[in-house]
Amino acid sequence: MSEHGHSSSSQGGYADDHHGSNLQTFRMVFVGLLIATVVSVATAQWLPAPPHVVWAIMMAVSCVKAMLVITFFMHLLWEASWKYVLTIPATFMSVLLVLLLIPDIGKRTKMYSEERWRHASHPVTQTHGDRHSDHEGAPMDGEEQPDTEGRN
Amino acid sequence: MSDTGSAPHDVGSHSPDSSHGEGGGAEHGHGHIHLQYQPGLPLPNGKLCLWLFLSTEIMFFAGLIGTYIVLRFGAPSGTWPGPHDVHVEEWLGALNTFVLLFSSFTIVMALEYARANQPVLAKGFLLATFLLGSFFLAVKAYEYNSKFQHGIYPSHPHSLIYERADVYYVGAVRQKLNDLRSPLEQRRAIEGDDFPAEDAERLAFISQLQDHMVRWTERKVTFTDDPMEANDTMLLMAHMIYPLHRYDEQAEFARNKELRAIREELEQLAARREASLDDTYQVALLQDDVQPVEDPLADDDFVELDDETRLNGRLELLEKSEEWKKGLNEDASWLHLPMYIPSGNMWASTYFLMTGFHAIHVLVGLIIFALALPLHLDGARANFLENTGLYWHFVDLVWIFLFPLLYLF
Repeated sequence: MSEHGHSSSSQGGYADDHHGSNLQTFRMVFVGLLIATVVSVATAQWLPAPPHVVWAIMMAVSCVKAMLVITFFMHLLWEASWKYVLTIPATFMSVLLVLLLIPDIGKRTKMYSEERWRHASHPVTQTHGDRHSDHEGAPMDGEEQPDTEGRN
Repeated sequence: MSDTGSAPHDVGSHSPDSSHGEGGGAEHGHGHIHLQYQPGLPLPNGKLCLWLFLSTEIMFFAGLIGTYIVLRFGAPSGTWPGPHDVHVEEWLGALNTFVLLFSSFTIVMALEYARANQPVLAKGFLLATFLLGSFFLAVKAYEYNSKFQHGIYPSHPHSLIYERADVYYVGAVRQKLNDLRSPLEQRRAIEGDDFPAEDAERLAFISQLQDHMVRWTERKVTFTDDPMEANDTMLLMAHMIYPLHRYDEQAEFARNKELRAIREELEQLAARREASLDDTYQVALLQDDVQPVEDPLADDDFVELDDETRLNGRLELLEKSEEWKKGLNEDASWLHLPMYIPSGNMWASTYFLMTGFHAIHVLVGLIIFALALPLHLDGARANFLENTGLYWHFVDLVWIFLFPLLYLF
């Protein structure tokens, strides 16, 4: 890695400044990732909380795992400032792309007419059993379709 | 991997903004121009190119995963299949997650040992990564196979998923039962006495389902005025074939209601028969002259059933359906009937697309590992190994997000 003798910045920024205890660092990061996975699965299976809370926790845990992999395993912690040029726009894009699609695609069923419901791929016609088990359904004769986001 | 080249920086040239003033060329006499290359970014070419590639991959997977997020959470409440509705096992996903995390760890180890000029250890860890990646693909193949076995495919015509329990679904079930029946009947005609008992049983079962499940439902839907009753009946049929736990209560309610109604009607029939008031009915029965209600759905080759046979048959079927805890498609899996899974096809499309593309990326990574394994992995190769590792970590990163989204939500 030091074949370029006359270059004034041969060593700088070539990720050489993390000798020594790094095997231990990586082992600890790996254990951290495992713990995060266990937390994620446990939350999904056992946490008695509303679905939104469970999903938020799982997404947060996933982001923590992703950060661990990116900073340590991909060595970005020890890289120069170009890593921000890479990571910040990518993060923005990922989040914003999803958010921008929500009003038109995510909430499309909010404005469905009775006619449209008949051709939807969602089976929301009401049955007698519905009255007894609190399922949400399609509007019956002009009733407004309630906002049905998310909950399963 | 060489340095990133940028604009050559002349030492002692005639640049207008030179701070050396006027003595530039004259001081160096021999006119020799020294060029110094300064890297534009402090990293090797290969790594820069790989990060650019990874950023495109980020866009690719962000698009797919973002679409899935929007579709899944935009589906009306209660209409997206849960993991158990579509044979997704969380523990298999967790196992795969562990395998990929471990493989990320081993390739980091391989890189560290390569940098420390210990090629044997580096190769060992690289081999471990390769094996772990192969194990991941094997588990994925097992999962895909179990989906295909249950008739869950990315799209029609293989996919048995129907997204609504409506008349089209009932028609599809009817068609499937017909398709199952024809070859059996043909074989029976040919083989006669040699026709195996098991197949005869199956034929009888198919007939029972056709008469008392499908045709009953079709009659009910056609003749009833109450759309809710029609939907209840169709849901009950779908629940018999492939029960979704969220509809257990509804199906149970519909079933009990139907049982009561049938028993009442049978009692009425029996009462009428015994009533000596209805002489003409008695006479007509004796003469086999009773004309049942004309069924516009009756096929020419179907024998029309009288009321009592119909009701008793349906009663028997309803009581028998208690035994099919997991539905017909599980307990009599040779049937492979179309099944009702709300938003099932949309789920299948997104699931297979995301995991399929991810699996392709894993495969590409494995090919690169296979190509790297014969090499001598010392310090000179560390850059190549680093770039391979970066790609592999990205694959792991995608799975870190895919796992909760597909398996746990």
